[in-house]
Amino acid sequence: MNTVDKLASLKDMISPGISACTGCNVELTLRTCMKVLGPDTIYAVPPGCMGGVGVVGWDTQSGSHIPVFFPLLDNVASMLAGIKLHYERIGRKVNVVAFAGDGATTDAGMQCLSGAAERGDKLIYICYDNEGYMNTGYQRSSATTKYSWTSTTPVSDAGSGGKRQHRKDFPMIMAMHDIPYMATCSPAFIPDMVAKLEKAMEASERGLAYLHVHNPCLTGWGIRPELSIEVSRLAVETNFFPLYEVIDGTFVINKEYKEAKPVEEYIKQMKKFRHLSAEEIADIQGFVDQKWNRLKQLAAL
Amino acid sequence: MQKLDILNGNKAAAIGAALARPAVIAAYPITPQTPVVEYLTEFAANGEIDAAMSEVESELSAMSVVTGASLAGARTFTATASQGLALMYEPYFRASTLRLPIVMAVVNREMISPQSVWGGQQDSMSVRDAGWLQMYAEDNQEILDMVVQAFKIAEDERVLLPINICFDGFYLSHMTERVLIPEQEKVDEFLGVYQPKHILLDPQKPMAVDPLTNGGLLMEYRYRHLQAQQAAIEVLEETDKLYGQAFGRTYGGAIEQYRMEDAEYVLITTGSMSGAAKEAVDIQRNRGIKAGLVRMRLLRPFPQKQVCAALKKAKAFGVVDKNVSFGWNTGIVYQEVKSALYEEHLCIPSVPVIGGLGGEDISIRMMEECIDAIKKAADEQKSSETIWLTV
Repeated sequence: MNTVDKLASLKDMISPGISACTGCNVELTLRTCMKVLGPDTIYAVPPGCMGGVGVVGWDTQSGSHIPVFFPLLDNVASMLAGIKLHYERIGRKVNVVAFAGDGATTDAGMQCLSGAAERGDKLIYICYDNEGYMNTGYQRSSATTKYSWTSTTPVSDAGSGGKRQHRKDFPMIMAMHDIPYMATCSPAFIPDMVAKLEKAMEASERGLAYLHVHNPCLTGWGIRPELSIEVSRLAVETNFFPLYEVIDGTFVINKEYKEAKPVEEYIKQMKKFRHLSAEEIADIQGFVDQKWNRLKQLAAL
Repeated sequence: MQKLDILNGNKAAAIGAALARPAVIAAYPITPQTPVVEYLTEFAANGEIDAAMSEVESELSAMSVVTGASLAGARTFTATASQGLALMYEPYFRASTLRLPIVMAVVNREMISPQSVWGGQQDSMSVRDAGWLQMYAEDNQEILDMVVQAFKIAEDERVLLPINICFDGFYLSHMTERVLIPEQEKVDEFLGVYQPKHILLDPQKPMAVDPLTNGGLLMEYRYRHLQAQQAAIEVLEETDKLYGQAFGRTYGGAIEQYRMEDAEYVLITTGSMSGAAKEAVDIQRNRGIKAGLVRMRLLRPFPQKQVCAALKKAKAFGVVDKNVSFGWNTGIVYQEVKSALYEEHLCIPSVPVIGGLGGEDISIRMMEECIDAIKKAADEQKSSETIWLTV
């Protein structure tokens, strides 16, 4: 069955009425993930966009057909670990899943996630990375790209400023925990994402499976809604966010282009980079090239 | 028959927890609680308990793992102290507002600064308003008995709240005493099985836990939470009696009264210092001074009625606190007792005492002096300034 037919045949586990922004590719990612994971799933949505738009629910109404809860920003993986330990002990197969933003994953929740990965807690951890704290109006996170305008890394009237540091390479950090499965995903490559979710479900019987999804934020970054998928695809096609997976320690690159597009093509799609100079764009290009070359070397091992 | 053993307080807590057959245990080591974690992992390694153990990377995760497990329907146990409890604060508050009957031993230790690993009740008392039930044990037998009873109280449908069993670091945690260990099958019968109906994460019964909630509904949650805390006093007293029938030991419920029948000068204590206080009461009684002692077993909820009834005929009272209430220049329990008395218009002279911080000893002689100060306050009809023992 092809991916379109497969997804069409699966029940949507998310309420139709959630209030995400027009064109939000995180909503698409969430619906896709939860369709594939299916009804025997318990999932956590920490504070962030998806919690804010009603995926957990409002008052007495749930935003999901499956059990869902708000963990704290900094304890997602640990709360899930406790749930999973109980179900393992009583011998019931349940997917125990995080759907967490980059703030809850790469910043405040990193210690818990690292601990769960090291202990081999049998979780599926999905990070939707929109490079900042979007629910509170786009503040910088450790996943934010260098030079990005954010509300806490402002740009001066003269046009200088933005974030001063490169982002943390979080997919690589998780891969280096030697977990059974780590993969990067993009909402522009849904068949790839579905295949990776299925691999993550299998790997989570042996330990922690981690998926890192790159989700350009239309509202926060200043991208036109109709370009949601286009910009997501450009992130991959420029090697800014390569699609790869690490299966029991073996690196596999999933999308490789004979000639990657210049990162500038991706950068010029959004307002948050509007102030960038040629040197700054070159700096980002250099960072992307260096990361890509290292990934190629790892995949050649 | 109950087995007689010689146990330190940490082992008594670990055995109490093991007897309750928790399904999931998560704990992070910290002085002076570390042996609790070691004993439990040892029991699991030897197959004496079949709990899933999580050797977490921090106390934040210890509380988070047991919170998750409890949400999935598991009976859970953890233990901590001092800085560990402080690190737990965020999920600690959440465990009570989620109404999860988690049992956690707190091996009381001073809060830094300055750096200290020794006793003091500042840690648990500083989080008394986070919605948990809190009990304080005097000796190792009581630690074991209260850890077992804690599960029954916490899981009672009238309560459904997490509970701390607190005991003094080193004075109890590392001192050995004779302790009777109840029979496993009788504990099984006493506790039954935990089957949550109020909150559960289970794909067979989908539930959204903690959607974004309006203030009106949140007010109702808080109202019920406070009602449940009040209900815990009655449940504790019932449990004390039931435990007595099953195992032959009772502790008097929310407070323990010692030589209080006709007491005029009342000393109020919490935890292990009560042993020295009881000796001092006996000494003063031999001198013809009508001294008595109230030992606070329950701090949350505060047993207001029980304390007022005990102090109704007192001429004066004093409270020895192994903690400070920043901003009041007294200890915490002193303020709590005064607050309770106001409810029933009891206005009698009082003596705030602070001692035992950072593991400092509180001797029988000091307790005698406290009783002298209480008598003086009664004679002069005047409350005293805070007495700082050993300062």
